[in-house]
Amino acid sequence: MTALRQPSEERLLAYAAGTLNLPESVVVAAHLAMRPRAASWVNGLQSVGGEVLETIDPAPVADDLLARTLARLSTSPEDLAPPEPANDMTGLPEPLRRYALGPWRRIGPDMRVRDVLAPRHGDCRVILLSIGPGRTTPVHTHAGVELTCVLSGAYETDEGVFGPGDFEEADGEVHHRPRTVSAEPCLCVVALDGQIRLDGWIGRLLQPFVRL
Amino acid sequence: MNGETDHDRLIQAVARTRDREAFAALFDHFAPRLKAYLMRSGAPPAAADDFAQDAMLTVWRKAELFDPARARAATWIFTIARNRRIDVMRRDGRVLPAPELNLGEIEPERPDDLFQTREDETRVRSALRNLKPDQIEVIQLAFFQDLTHAEVAQSLALPLGTVKSRIRNAMIKLRSLLDQPVGEHS
Repeated sequence: MTALRQPSEERLLAYAAGTLNLPESVVVAAHLAMRPRAASWVNGLQSVGGEVLETIDPAPVADDLLARTLARLSTSPEDLAPPEPANDMTGLPEPLRRYALGPWRRIGPDMRVRDVLAPRHGDCRVILLSIGPGRTTPVHTHAGVELTCVLSGAYETDEGVFGPGDFEEADGEVHHRPRTVSAEPCLCVVALDGQIRLDGWIGRLLQPFVRL
Repeated sequence: MNGETDHDRLIQAVARTRDREAFAALFDHFAPRLKAYLMRSGAPPAAADDFAQDAMLTVWRKAELFDPARARAATWIFTIARNRRIDVMRRDGRVLPAPELNLGEIEPERPDDLFQTREDETRVRSALRNLKPDQIEVIQLAFFQDLTHAEVAQSLALPLGTVKSRIRNAMIKLRSLLDQPVGEHS
């Protein structure tokens, strides 16, 4: 199977609709910030949402809701400027600049992670992962879905090479062993759902220490 | 007489003169729809009232950003609701920014990339009518529930794989009707 390097149609639609959970939305948003044509398609899907809104059976609101809303209308001009960046990694795509970041933690030789302090969804959370040139992460499978977007550098798996902006979805079926093939470290943003499982006896020995 | 254009004008009146009557007219049309939208997503009526109020307050605050050349009123207001709902549907109560969509913010790389004009909106709507009923159903449902995970697909009484392939087929059809190739986004 050829990897498309973009979110699946159902995940892109869920993102456009706003039904996708937040950690996954953060990774999709990073991908779209690096892929203007895909972002343009997602914007186009907003008109499907507009159609949903126009054709839905209206539900009468509380009698006093309009009065209460009018009472809350602001009269001063609005500050519509985008939010200030919440971290100092200036190379990150805009959607990732909105979040504070945890400290880098070393998880292996030339391998570091830091938390993206976006809201979790159950066990699902967002991390930045940096893997040095030539390094391979331990073989692992996923208890849930793992979404990855490459921010810089490149890695290779059985599915091919993934470079900046490329997006990969891995589920419990995939035995994943990405290897960095760029001269610089490969930096990715990853939504992890559930604990990853390291395969093999070395992996099982490493598992307690990795805490991804 | 064109209802959509009327709504556009009402938003522009809010933007230009902070016209409260125009806002009330928008509220009468859209607030009950916003409420119904969130209730179909599983929210109780009182929370859906709050959501409708909140989204309409955002319409008031952001009216200057509305561009009728890009999107019709319903689409612009849907996007506001979409951005708000990601916050609302969260359970942990913390306020943190969610990834937001801003219609019109993305600059196309080539002229034919532009997929957010009024004309394109009309094309999307007519393309939707060319989908099969089960495809339309699953796309609409995706606007109320996350269909990418097994537990929610159960509410359709269909296997997750069936839901996903139905969405895929619908989206590929939609792309072909709109000349948007699959897998050539970069």
